[in-house]
Amino acid sequence: MPLFDYSLLLTGKYHDMLVAGLLLSLQLLAASLVLALPIALVVALLRLSPLAPLRWLGFAYVESIRNIPLLAHMLFWYFGAPELLPDGIKQWLYAGHIEAYSAIVALALYTAAFMAEDIRSGIRAIPTVQFEAGRALGFGFLDTMRRVVLPQALRITVPPLISQTLSLWKNTSIATVIGVAELMYQAGQVESATFRSFESFAFASAAYLSVSLAITGLATWYHHRFPVRTI
Amino acid sequence: MRHTLLAAALAASTFLLGTVAHADQLADIKKKGELVVGVLGTDEPATFVDPKTRQIVGYEVDLVNAIAKKIGVKPVLKQIAVAARIPELQQGHVDLVAAGLTHNKEREAQIDFSLTTFVTGQKAIVKKDSGITDIPQLGGKKVLTIRGGTQEPNIRKAVPTAEVVTFDTSQQAFQALQQGKGVGYVDDEAALLRSYAKLGPAKAQYVVLKQNLSTEALAIGIKKGESGLKAVVDDTLRELEKSGEAQKIFVKWYGPDTASGFQTRDFKFESDKID
Repeated sequence: MPLFDYSLLLTGKYHDMLVAGLLLSLQLLAASLVLALPIALVVALLRLSPLAPLRWLGFAYVESIRNIPLLAHMLFWYFGAPELLPDGIKQWLYAGHIEAYSAIVALALYTAAFMAEDIRSGIRAIPTVQFEAGRALGFGFLDTMRRVVLPQALRITVPPLISQTLSLWKNTSIATVIGVAELMYQAGQVESATFRSFESFAFASAAYLSVSLAITGLATWYHHRFPVRTI
Repeated sequence: MRHTLLAAALAASTFLLGTVAHADQLADIKKKGELVVGVLGTDEPATFVDPKTRQIVGYEVDLVNAIAKKIGVKPVLKQIAVAARIPELQQGHVDLVAAGLTHNKEREAQIDFSLTTFVTGQKAIVKKDSGITDIPQLGGKKVLTIRGGTQEPNIRKAVPTAEVVTFDTSQQAFQALQQGKGVGYVDDEAALLRSYAKLGPAKAQYVVLKQNLSTEALAIGIKKGESGLKAVVDDTLRELEKSGEAQKIFVKWYGPDTASGFQTRDFKFESDKID
């Protein structure tokens, strides 16, 4: 019996299962990221809002999400939240890929809380005089943010956001608990079917590592290409 | 039944690390005066903690007690995790494993098995209003079960077109069925009937499909090559069968008056061979 059977990874049914898992993981990453970014921006702005209730709302969002493990979020969005919906919508949802939808919602909301904090830090790194200058020119809060502060702040924010994307990528593996057939899940299935633990998890590890390194590389490249301007 | 893969992986690594050669285990058991048995302790009614006495009791415990009595030593139960069953046995931390252990061909290379002590079929339960009455009708539908055991490969074998979604625990999978996130739920018959019983009045909305997806033989695990110990275990089981005690123990834990509600005992302690 060979110790490490590459053929399992290169062709055949188990290869297909692992590749399907990798693709689904990448889809989870993309969908969650696309949802998380705008939510994060809104939450960051809420936390900096001149209105106290809005600030409080942003604070409540960030703290309540950040202080609960992602696993609990997954289980909530799969087992708990959909049950509150009206029957018709519920049945329509359950007939489709409810597992993947729940995972995307959980991942997006969870990641958004962390990204919001990064964006807020980025905004706060811009001297307040810039904001005041914007207001003095007659722009409102949102316009000042959009035209003056955010373009400078987002440049500072991109490296930490890429780092959050790295976490998001690794966190997609937690979707396994709600039966989403992503990479970790498929690796488990292949192991279960073939008893080839080393091969299946080697594939999963290599895939996570390569995508993670690509994301890290992107951060490094961005850092060189668009260095933070000293203000 | 569950986590065969992890157990196998752990067992394989144990094997690679090398196991210490052992003298006759039966003699050792007699010398120390106790028979140490690995049990799950969370697998009602096979082995579980009695809420009143805080002692581990159950079907497998009764069998173990009989074996200890036959050898003339004190039974000592040690709770172990599903995945640790085979490694604990191979490393000699326990003398026997009576922990819902499925006897299959892959495991025969690693440990020996007693006579089959329980035969369970895997079955499916569906909501009545799904209109499903037969296993093949699950084709193309979402079917829920536990991960890591023999349930999933068995569904795939029986209904290749079913979309199988698996969970870490049977409770989660069953919960998903109740919420309508799949049309069927598959598990070992005894476990499935127990979940079904817990539904209470809602039982009327569900049907347990008659046909079995597969059958599984459970047995007591014995360290490989310990023929003396295996002989005494098998003899005890044969005697229990002959005296009618085996039937009584079955009825006590799985019979019509229990939550498992088995009407008949469809197996006997007679063979240690599996198909």
